[in-house]
Amino acid sequence: MSNEDVVLKVENVHKSYGNNKVLTGVSFEVRRAEIKIICGPSGSGKSTLLRCLNLLTQPDKGHVWLEGEEVTDPTTDISKVRQKIGFVFQEFNLFNHLNALRNVSIGLEVVKGMKKDEARKIALRELGKVGLEEHAHKYPAELSGGQKQRVAIARALAMNPVIMFYDEPTSALDPQLIGEVLDVMKKLAKEKLTSLVVTHEMGFAQSVGDEMMFMIDGKILERGTPLQVIQNPKHKITKLFFEHIAKLYMRQVR
Amino acid sequence: MSFWEAFLPKIFEGWVLTVEILVPSIPLGVILAIVLALARIYGNKPISLLAAGIVSLIRGLPLIVTLFIIFFALPKLAIYFSPYWSAVLGFILCTGAYQSEYVRGAIQSIDVGQSLAAQALGMSKLKEVVHIILPQALRRSLPGIANEIIYLILYSSLASYVGNQEIFAWARHFNSLYFRPIEIFLTAGLIYISMATVATTGFKIIENKLRIPGLEVAR
Repeated sequence: MSNEDVVLKVENVHKSYGNNKVLTGVSFEVRRAEIKIICGPSGSGKSTLLRCLNLLTQPDKGHVWLEGEEVTDPTTDISKVRQKIGFVFQEFNLFNHLNALRNVSIGLEVVKGMKKDEARKIALRELGKVGLEEHAHKYPAELSGGQKQRVAIARALAMNPVIMFYDEPTSALDPQLIGEVLDVMKKLAKEKLTSLVVTHEMGFAQSVGDEMMFMIDGKILERGTPLQVIQNPKHKITKLFFEHIAKLYMRQVR
Repeated sequence: MSFWEAFLPKIFEGWVLTVEILVPSIPLGVILAIVLALARIYGNKPISLLAAGIVSLIRGLPLIVTLFIIFFALPKLAIYFSPYWSAVLGFILCTGAYQSEYVRGAIQSIDVGQSLAAQALGMSKLKEVVHIILPQALRRSLPGIANEIIYLILYSSLASYVGNQEIFAWARHFNSLYFRPIEIFLTAGLIYISMATVATTGFKIIENKLRIPGLEVAR
């Protein structure tokens, strides 16, 4: 790879399930410290795209590089690659049998082979970053949705990733809980943590997003600054989408 | 020598042998159950089919038939097991096959999201299964496993039919000598009830210990 500032490079990624073409040639790059937003209607392939990038789903065609290392090369140790990508899921996916602290430390202990004490010290620090130090000993079932998602973010951060993937991190949350998660994400964005964010939170996109990509039918239809894409889209379908979102969220896109 | 003076030491001797049969059968049965369940879910086609075949075979045979095959039929193929090991082997296979279905169901009930999260952290399949899936699946299968272990304690009486002088063998022996079925079989029954009660209590304690806060069932 020529440019060391490119953290993630995606080239012509395809994925089908039977006759259902989910991704039909997606290419883009994410540079260091960049916050890249992906949006688009449900079924447009956003989640599949994220999962194809760390091979949670195996793409049919195309290439992905992380910091110059080809992720899609079959000889690459995918576990090593995944450790460098902090993945935050829509449904949190916390480990239900572990308390918040252990949810955050288990990757360090089991994957990175860190000593328990050291891993838990780091875990406590990461929980502090998302404002949950005092909830460290609570189990997922004892936490609110917003707290769960913040634990999930801390779990990803603890691995010291080079890039964060967020897959609609606030879509499963009650409206009054969305703010606390977005605040954490904004804070991380301001600390220049490279991120790829699938979200429909237009306020978030406009305040911290560097570029927005609008996806439909497994393709990136258009891209630009969030302001351009949301307020001045080139395509009618993009415009309709954002009008619809704005109505749903009962907010004006200024 | 009175009946009780003759009977009680022998029934105690039988109880010791019953316990000696159960002590390896219970943990090895649980281990077999876990192995069979993992093989069926995570194994490749041949391994998965093999595990499914073993489970179907063992569950298709009455335990007494399994025991007779091990003790009487296998020697014809020059495979010999003592009465003790015939019983232990039969019990491990039987309880393992039944328990494996509880474990398999419990593994499948863990939502796939946790599996994805484990993989996304960089865990190998083995690490994921050991650290994320099994700790939760075993908790969920505990009531079923307890059920099967209590069955095992009770059907350990079948060991008497392959030459083990355990509780039930002594009970039958004394009944044929003294014909006092009420005293004899009530005593034997009482011993089995006591063992089942101890197991039930033990499992209750384990279940409470392993309870995950916040996951209580709403009453």
